[in-house]
Amino acid sequence: MAGQTIPLEYYQLVAALLFTIGVVGVLVRRSALVIFMSIELMLNAVNLSLVAFSRLHAQMDGQIIVFFVMSVAAAEVAVGLAILVAIFRNRETASVDEVHLLKG
Amino acid sequence: MIEAFLFAMFGAGAIAFALGMVFRRNPVHCALHLVGVLLSVSGMFVLLNAQFIAAIQILVYAGAIMVLFLFVVMLLNVRGETPLLTPGAAKGFGFFFALIGFVELLWVVLSRGGDEAVPERLPALPSGFGSPAEIGRVLYSTWLFPFEVTSILLLIAVVGAVVLAKRKFF
Amino acid sequence: MDTAFFLVTSLVKVLIVLGFVLLGVPLIVWMERKVLGHMQDRIGPQRVGPYGLLQTIADGIKLFFKEDVIPAQADRVVFFIAPALSVITAFAALSVVPFGDTVRVLGRDVPLYVADVNVAILWVLGTTSMGVYGIVLGGWASNSKYPLLGGLRSSAQMISYELAQGISLVSVILMAGTLSLTAIVKQQEHLWYIVPQFFAFAIYLTCGIAETNRAPFDLPEAETELVAGFHTEFSSMKFALYFLAEYANMMVVSAIAISVFLGGWRGPFLPPVVWFLIKLTLFLFFYIWLRATFPRLRYDQLMSFGWKVLLPASLLNLTVTALVVALGQG
Repeated sequence: MAGQTIPLEYYQLVAALLFTIGVVGVLVRRSALVIFMSIELMLNAVNLSLVAFSRLHAQMDGQIIVFFVMSVAAAEVAVGLAILVAIFRNRETASVDEVHLLKG
Repeated sequence: MIEAFLFAMFGAGAIAFALGMVFRRNPVHCALHLVGVLLSVSGMFVLLNAQFIAAIQILVYAGAIMVLFLFVVMLLNVRGETPLLTPGAAKGFGFFFALIGFVELLWVVLSRGGDEAVPERLPALPSGFGSPAEIGRVLYSTWLFPFEVTSILLLIAVVGAVVLAKRKFF
Repeated sequence: MDTAFFLVTSLVKVLIVLGFVLLGVPLIVWMERKVLGHMQDRIGPQRVGPYGLLQTIADGIKLFFKEDVIPAQADRVVFFIAPALSVITAFAALSVVPFGDTVRVLGRDVPLYVADVNVAILWVLGTTSMGVYGIVLGGWASNSKYPLLGGLRSSAQMISYELAQGISLVSVILMAGTLSLTAIVKQQEHLWYIVPQFFAFAIYLTCGIAETNRAPFDLPEAETELVAGFHTEFSSMKFALYFLAEYANMMVVSAIAISVFLGGWRGPFLPPVVWFLIKLTLFLFFYIWLRATFPRLRYDQLMSFGWKVLLPASLLNLTVTALVVALGQG
């Protein structure tokens, strides 16, 4: 297929929508796991935006940054879930509204 | 034409799955909806000539990170919480700020960042754009230092996760 | 006109691959029962049809008429899609495998693969990673102890062996310089990659057997251990789908091993597709032979073997390959 028939603004629009939905998830949900997943959603929206820009300027740097974002996301998920498991073991709850004090 | 259809399918799918993820009660269902988002975004990557990144997205993000999420959800046996959303004024503030953020992003996108030099039609791509060979070439020349730092970061994450989740044996 | 021809031939190829797997699985099941029987000094199925060939059809009809039981409190939607996920990922992985050389249809060259993707090996690894979902979700959605444990054990096993499997394939990729399966098969004109990369082949095959949860790595679904593991609560067509997915996954692992290590469809005299089928049958026979011969590995033995033996071995193989390739070029 020669040339792109979808203007890049559409991809940016989808990325903006996904990012906003992720922000809503972080601000409004109470379950720590779902908040974490919303953060992953935001990271994915940014990845989509980066790849679209990389396509716009015909340079590979956007895709390389996405590569790094993915590895950092993997590291973050591992450590974050470990923290969550530790909290859940102590407090028996995964709701962020109930773990808002430093002492149990 | 096929491309427009595929973009519509992947775009609509991504947004539908994202909405489902944020508003479902059961955490396992949320995780599955997030997997749907990841697969749709991977499809859009292919449309944007980023084949390697699309394959890596499925392999790493949907195939490993989300499996880890699912494991933790299942092992912790987290139930959905009873008031789904944060009660009270915090919920209103949350939606309001998200709306403001979206309007800002929309403005930036539609005004093309105020940059008049953004071209109307997309430039032609060099051959091999998005292929593993190109990724390797750029990764190991311009981006070598971040690559090495990322490897140390991953090592730190592995050690940290093991230490944090370990039970203390008395 | 070209696009229409391409779409039609692609659709026909997809249907052929689908039909081949759907028809091949009953044959594999029959072969397994016959071969296992003869290796265990008995005959196996012999009454239903000549040499028991229609036995699998009879079993399929029986499964079709069974009552579809869904456990109480089971998550219905996930219970429904989990077997489908296993099957979908198995079929998706077959879409990049080259079954033969190009043939001439209606005056045009039609290559015998569904898609030639320049990241084919990554695609295959990605879809087999997605196959873990079918198992872990099936175990969880059953809302029952044994399936949950079986599902978690099985998926932990699959994840552990994915690493060594990927790294062993990377050694061949280093030598071939490409990720596309069709290109790798084309490059094996003079020397099959099994000769320089024998260790990678052995590691890949072992990991492949562990990935498909086949003996001797089948503790998570052995009847004597965890009832039936993750597919305990599935009956009728859902169980048939899991069964189909297991044998389809066996075909995927064999097909990739053939394409990457054994020259794909290459071979003298006979047409390429026939050679592919011959090699596929040999691999499936090897799978069945292993099941008849080896005792089951205990779960901790299995996990420590994957992490402490196969992963370092594949990394060592990769290092040596990288050194040889780099020194050869420099």
